[in-house]
Amino acid sequence: MTLLSIKNLTVSYGSPPYQLKALNAVNIDIAPGETVALVGESGSGKSTIAMAIMDLIPRKAVSGEIFFKGRELTSLPSEERRKLRGRNISIVFQDPFTSLNPSIRIGKQIAEGLTTHLGMSNAQAMKRAAEALKEVGIADPETVANAYPHQLSGGMRQRVLIASALVCNPELLILDEPTTALDVTIEAQVLDLVQEIAARRHVGVLFITHNLGVVNKIADRVCVLYAGQLVEEGTKERVLRDPLHPYTRGLLGSIPKLGHRESRLTPIEGRFPDLTDTPTGCIFEERCPFREAACSEPQQLRSLENRRIKCWKAEPAQVETWPVTERHTSTSDVRSSDEKALVELQKITKRFTSSTGKLTLKTKLGFLPLPAVEKKSVGVLNEISLSIGRGEVLGLVGESGSGKSTLGRIMLKLIDASDGRVVFDGKEISDASDGELKEFRKRAQIVFQNPTSSLNPRRTIGDAISRAFKLANPQADRKTVRKSAEELIDRVGLPIRYFDRYPHQLSGGEKQRVGIARALASNPDLIVCDEPVSALDVSVQATVLNLFKDLRSDMNLSYLFISHDLAVISHISDRIAVLYMGTIVEEGPAAAVLDAPHHPYTEALLSAAAVPDEAETDKKRIVVKGDNIRRVTHGCVFQGRCRRQIGSICETTKPPIRETDQGLRIACHLSVDDLLMGQKQLAENS
Amino acid sequence: MALYVINRLLAVMVVLLVISMLVFGVTQIMPGDVASTIAGQFASPEVVDAIREKLGLNDPFYVQYWRWISSVVTGDFGQSLIMERPVSALISEAFMASASLAIVSFISVTLFGILLGVWAAVRRDKLADNLVSTFTYVGISIPEFFWGIVLIMFFANYLQILPSGGVASISASPGVWLSHIILPVITLTLTLIAHVSRLTRSSMLEALDSQYVRNARAKGLPERTVIFRHALPNALMPTITVLALDVGWLIGGIVVVEVVFSYPGIGRLLMFAIERHDLPLIQASILVIALIYCLANLVADLLYAVVNPKIRYGNGE
Amino acid sequence: MASSSRSTQTAVFRSLNSKLLIGSGLLLLIAFVAIFGSWLSPYAYDQMSVLQRMKPPSSAHWFGTDELGRDVFSRTLTGAGMSIAIGFGATMLSLLVGVPLGLLSGYKRGGFDEFVMRCMDVLLSMPPIMLGLLFLAVSEPSAWKAILAVGCVYIPPTVRLTRSIALELANEEFIEAARARSESTWYILIKEILPNAWPTIAVEGSLRVTFAILLGAALSFLGMGAQPPSSEWGLMISQARPYIAQAPWIALAPGLAMCLTVIAINLFGDGLRAAIDPRSASRGH
Repeated sequence: MTLLSIKNLTVSYGSPPYQLKALNAVNIDIAPGETVALVGESGSGKSTIAMAIMDLIPRKAVSGEIFFKGRELTSLPSEERRKLRGRNISIVFQDPFTSLNPSIRIGKQIAEGLTTHLGMSNAQAMKRAAEALKEVGIADPETVANAYPHQLSGGMRQRVLIASALVCNPELLILDEPTTALDVTIEAQVLDLVQEIAARRHVGVLFITHNLGVVNKIADRVCVLYAGQLVEEGTKERVLRDPLHPYTRGLLGSIPKLGHRESRLTPIEGRFPDLTDTPTGCIFEERCPFREAACSEPQQLRSLENRRIKCWKAEPAQVETWPVTERHTSTSDVRSSDEKALVELQKITKRFTSSTGKLTLKTKLGFLPLPAVEKKSVGVLNEISLSIGRGEVLGLVGESGSGKSTLGRIMLKLIDASDGRVVFDGKEISDASDGELKEFRKRAQIVFQNPTSSLNPRRTIGDAISRAFKLANPQADRKTVRKSAEELIDRVGLPIRYFDRYPHQLSGGEKQRVGIARALASNPDLIVCDEPVSALDVSVQATVLNLFKDLRSDMNLSYLFISHDLAVISHISDRIAVLYMGTIVEEGPAAAVLDAPHHPYTEALLSAAAVPDEAETDKKRIVVKGDNIRRVTHGCVFQGRCRRQIGSICETTKPPIRETDQGLRIACHLSVDDLLMGQKQLAENS
Repeated sequence: MALYVINRLLAVMVVLLVISMLVFGVTQIMPGDVASTIAGQFASPEVVDAIREKLGLNDPFYVQYWRWISSVVTGDFGQSLIMERPVSALISEAFMASASLAIVSFISVTLFGILLGVWAAVRRDKLADNLVSTFTYVGISIPEFFWGIVLIMFFANYLQILPSGGVASISASPGVWLSHIILPVITLTLTLIAHVSRLTRSSMLEALDSQYVRNARAKGLPERTVIFRHALPNALMPTITVLALDVGWLIGGIVVVEVVFSYPGIGRLLMFAIERHDLPLIQASILVIALIYCLANLVADLLYAVVNPKIRYGNGE
Repeated sequence: MASSSRSTQTAVFRSLNSKLLIGSGLLLLIAFVAIFGSWLSPYAYDQMSVLQRMKPPSSAHWFGTDELGRDVFSRTLTGAGMSIAIGFGATMLSLLVGVPLGLLSGYKRGGFDEFVMRCMDVLLSMPPIMLGLLFLAVSEPSAWKAILAVGCVYIPPTVRLTRSIALELANEEFIEAARARSESTWYILIKEILPNAWPTIAVEGSLRVTFAILLGAALSFLGMGAQPPSSEWGLMISQARPYIAQAPWIALAPGLAMCLTVIAINLFGDGLRAAIDPRSASRGH
């Protein structure tokens, strides 16, 4: 018997003619003990499905049927639906930072479900809550139960939310992007936990995500959602290895894959459809490279060898290759490292001060003795030395708090380093005069992470780019400025009519292109790219990555390319540096970093970035224990989390740099051979 | 937490010190000379000079300030120039009268403001919400002095069921005391109840829209628990700050209301002192009022720290 | 592109909400009266008549006459200008001083910010009316001094608001982009931050006008603002106080006029906020 069966679920907001169809006739089944992944980009309606199952959206917006263990839910009164929530069906939301009540103790927040649904006494419930915390791998459940949410890290909070969802033994667990807000090493822990518990308790799991790599790790079956419609559904192996629907193919082609550095990404062109005005035919028609006249007919979800698919042309189109619209450029021309460096960081150190919680008197304004909190300085970056050659791309990968963005800003002197030197084109810029700094900033620019925040909402696209150009070329007249701005807009692949548009009229990917055009306006040699694609959907991310590649080879640009995603980094970089807690743990040519031997931390990152269409068993999953919030003052930065820690030397002595023949540098107490051996053993064991 | 308390206490002391300098400094440049006020209209310049010398008015500013502040901290505000009584006695009498007015008003504001705000938020966009919204609109638009006069017109002059002013002792006859205080309290609280309920409604709606409330609903908790256990405690945190700021408005309102209802409190005393240029009385009343206001804000800050675990258990201020 | 033009249309319709319409309609009327009050009124505001003392409303005197036989209707019309001038003047003053201070504090931070904010703390630690009374007690009260006093009361909240907006905007990446191309501080403040900050400041400012009008009138009521024979509304009510039993209309006319003005400005401010940011308006901050 199916556990959950969704039939013809449609969710629409507003009334015609401006009705927004968030979901359109979706059918999904989940069996007990089965994990079904629901995949889609933003706007696909994947979270709406979860909210409809939970009865957390207005009833009048929902039509269709939801059967839970044979019982039809949509016709039940709200009070009956409430009793199912948390008891039989539980959900874990995306953001662990805002999903817990800030003023209630953790233990109480878990126990609430028990007292409500199972009628337990407070004492019983608290005891059971502590057990639940233990079950999700929290070492010290009593302390955590007594804590308030702000005292816990993101990973811990997500464990708490999972414990609270599981505490009443539900039969169905819905996870709505549970790892998106977490770092990759923490993500690996949470996925492990979910999988282990789901298997042990035999619960059905609906796992909502945009990340196909995560799907590959966790799912039995996959449902692909596009613009509120189910376009493909089948077993994980079939859908990920052998996708049939053009949208699924496009999605998989958009993902950068570790180790496939030569291949160009094949993104999906065009824009996401308007959900208030959906076409009668195939929803994907407008963006599909294989479309033809018959696609404008209404499409049916049809069965085909154990899967269902909403495309009449899937089989004939399968033999056609996905067209590569932009020209192909080779990126194999890795620059030799003996060339003179364009920019060089020498022993850059950055310390911030933070409160110790102790109070002292401090004289303010010369005479007023005021209480002040004693400060201590925290090292954010420790003696970082890196260099980037002309036309070279250095990828900097690290988790949140590793200091990667700070490093990028120090390179541009937007932040001053506490110690160390930045040398650009042979000149030191740490103590440059205003005039020199102006010249330097024409040649070194930055592209930001958040496409919305990076553009002034009250300025037109043309105005933003013109200003940047005018500042770099003060002598240029109006006509020249306008012409150059238009050229730049064209350069980044946007239509010139966007000149007079405001940022809110553009999509995320388009805004990011404007940000790039603005950075190019002063004709720079170096661009610091600070997570420039991580806020974008996968298909858009691919087009922007391709643009970065093209610009680099056309204009001989150097990039410092910062990302938390090793797959993205490996796709674009010539060399890769791995940053952990303000320290470079591994650095070298991209190919060498991706090949063994690895620093134990790099190894974990590589495991997390596994390719979605590779069989999961090819690689043993590496889960690093612990949280990435503790700062160490002595020894190796990775101590305590490292699976290959050898002993007290890791805690007391700074690790030496090990060099290999390929030019790889690893900061580890283990020798290169030892590292290599350990990694070989691991591969054989699996 | 201890750190936070010490920090706030010291900050309040510094602020009070600065205010005392401000008050003293400003009153020094007031028109009208203390010596000639004391000497009377027809005194000769020699007499005025003699008085000035005797009072130390020819000393440098900081000497005079030091003399003043060191007696103020012992509770001695000097002699009233007009009433010829110690200022501290005048102030304490008036203060007690004002305090009963303020306390009754503040309790009503807290109670009704929060109740109305929560009611409106829970019944969002329904009749109750619209009623409360209309009430708050009118409430924040009527000046106290006008509202007070309208109340007097209706209850004292037209219906003749309540006195139009004055005060009675609570111990002698609680009923008469109540009849004297009820109109001033209604006058004082209308605007503030409107203000507090408006802000409580808005922070309550914010809490009800939050992720943690969605999560609480997803756990299948009854709506009552969601509203009162999850949303309300968080929604009330900003209300505490608002209430403390409204003490400032309350004090301002008290000055006006005491004048309107001829209520013998500290506000009317201050206005009297200003009209008559009674310097020591002005200094003392303003300083006492500022002290009360600072203490109210301090209490609010500490209360906020107690209900907000982020402050109670470190991590951020 | 059909979708975006449609959403622009709905945005325009939403912005023309009823509060904004009613509020701005009333405000236009009140502004008209405030400017042309003395031409519109049938009598001069200080024209006394011993025979016509405390007459109830009639066709000759729509709102009756006061204790000196002056026409209350004329006085209320003429008083509009002064009452509103105190409110607007004080708000303008607080914006002129507060906005630049707040912008600089929020963007520059550091010692300057610390100093400004501590000064504001001291000003804020006085109840609003006390600050006004303190200023006015030191010299002969007059209307323009009331403007000054009320303006000073509203400088700290304006600085705080502007500073918090500037602080938030200073973290935006487009500001960092401006710094990365070596823009000057003034350029960033005026061209990048201010255009994004002013909608919020304008909304808050328009709502603060109501508080300023009420506070200004309260000062006049206490004899610390406009002086006789001015027909400022607060002063009119104050002077009508001894006669409320016999001639309630003398106080009612200016009182109701003031309520109407304040409601109109509140409607306008709320409507403006709804037009600029529909989300916050539904919560009705």
